[in-house]
Amino acid sequence: MTRPKPRLIAVEGVDGASVIAAARRAVEAPPRGGISHWDASGVFQDLVVAEEAAGKPSPRTLLLLYAADLAFRLRWEIRPALAEGRTVVAAPYVETAIAFGRAAGVPAGWLINLFRFAPRAAERRFATMPLRRSMSHVDGFVGFVCARMEGGTEGRTSHRVIKAANALLRRSASRDMKSRQPRQPKRRG
Amino acid sequence: MLQPGSALRLARVRARKHFTDPTSRRGLLVAFEGPDGSGKTTQRKLFKTWLKSEGYDVVTTKWNSSELIKPIIKSRKAVRALSPEEFSLLHGADFRHRVEQIILPALWAGKLVIADRFLFTGLARDVARGLDLDWVLKLYQPLLWPDLVFYFAVSPITSGKRVTATRTPNFYEAGQDVTHVEDPVESYQHFIARVIREYESLALIFNFITVDAEQSIGEQHHQIRQLFLEGQRRPWSEWNADAVAEWLCRNGKAR
Repeated sequence: MTRPKPRLIAVEGVDGASVIAAARRAVEAPPRGGISHWDASGVFQDLVVAEEAAGKPSPRTLLLLYAADLAFRLRWEIRPALAEGRTVVAAPYVETAIAFGRAAGVPAGWLINLFRFAPRAAERRFATMPLRRSMSHVDGFVGFVCARMEGGTEGRTSHRVIKAANALLRRSASRDMKSRQPRQPKRRG
Repeated sequence: MLQPGSALRLARVRARKHFTDPTSRRGLLVAFEGPDGSGKTTQRKLFKTWLKSEGYDVVTTKWNSSELIKPIIKSRKAVRALSPEEFSLLHGADFRHRVEQIILPALWAGKLVIADRFLFTGLARDVARGLDLDWVLKLYQPLLWPDLVFYFAVSPITSGKRVTATRTPNFYEAGQDVTHVEDPVESYQHFIARVIREYESLALIFNFITVDAEQSIGEQHHQIRQLFLEGQRRPWSEWNADAVAEWLCRNGKAR
């Protein structure tokens, strides 16, 4: 019997509950794997207890923290599991953070450099939401940072960022789907 | 939150106008850089006292000191849980938060900011830990360049002697995470030599003002006063327009 190949699957999306549900479906399929959740290092949990006087972090600061957390997940969860030949589902991985950054006005070049240390996932899945759904109560990474960032307490700002991030992820999902479709042979006139 | 190009362009114009206005004293940023044991903190305190006596409104900011991120770094350092990437990214987050919350507001208000260590500390230490200079430098974008950078140059031996005279360097200060040398003093000696090598390259690339930190405290202080008086008349660096513009946009001050 051949040993299954270790795979890193990224599940991306702005709504934490949908991302977790999609990640669970991904690990249940053989070969069974494990899930690497955001904030495994607890940096965001530590932000919750920070005093109001410490000031609200900007999107760039929050993204640097997300990258630090991702470096932790890669070191302690993702790379060891892959080395043991297991499948790992990163929920979420890089694309969600990039979508949040883009939606919050952070330049794409900076975001791409920031996550340069993270290996490419073998497969990407998207747990996006319909564009018309209300996004005022999303949880997960994007909801968490939108509620805490500078200007995020103004409901309209965070709502707009979440919507824009969801739209960016939907676009990535549709690009991925198109690239998976077999090409139709060209008809000769 | 989405910043259209026109808002950033307007904010750049506003930043330029604000910092080049000849009718008001503009904010100045002075960075003190150098390895541990080079006497930066002593000189920073003397410099601050002198500046205050000269009528400057002075704000000091130290490396790894933001109320938001410092506790996160401290707890992880205590359990020796940081990889070079995590170390770099968390210090980058601390720096970014201080730039936005302390440094830029003070500069905008026309104050003089003394930074006891600046982004060059991150660059020197992270590259000494084996990270790529280009990756680390970009983490600090949009870059905010100080008006003056005083680099306190000492040899690795002097740094080692001064630091170990009163205490044992801690795990990360000694670079034990990358040297894997068990003795902290021996590890410090290896690591600080690497850090100083990186600092010396940065001093050339970024045109630091080098202060011979092997001189007496008084000699150094007088040299710094003199260099400051000559250097403070430098024009505002156009490179800072992006950093100021982004901050203005986030604070709704772009127009």
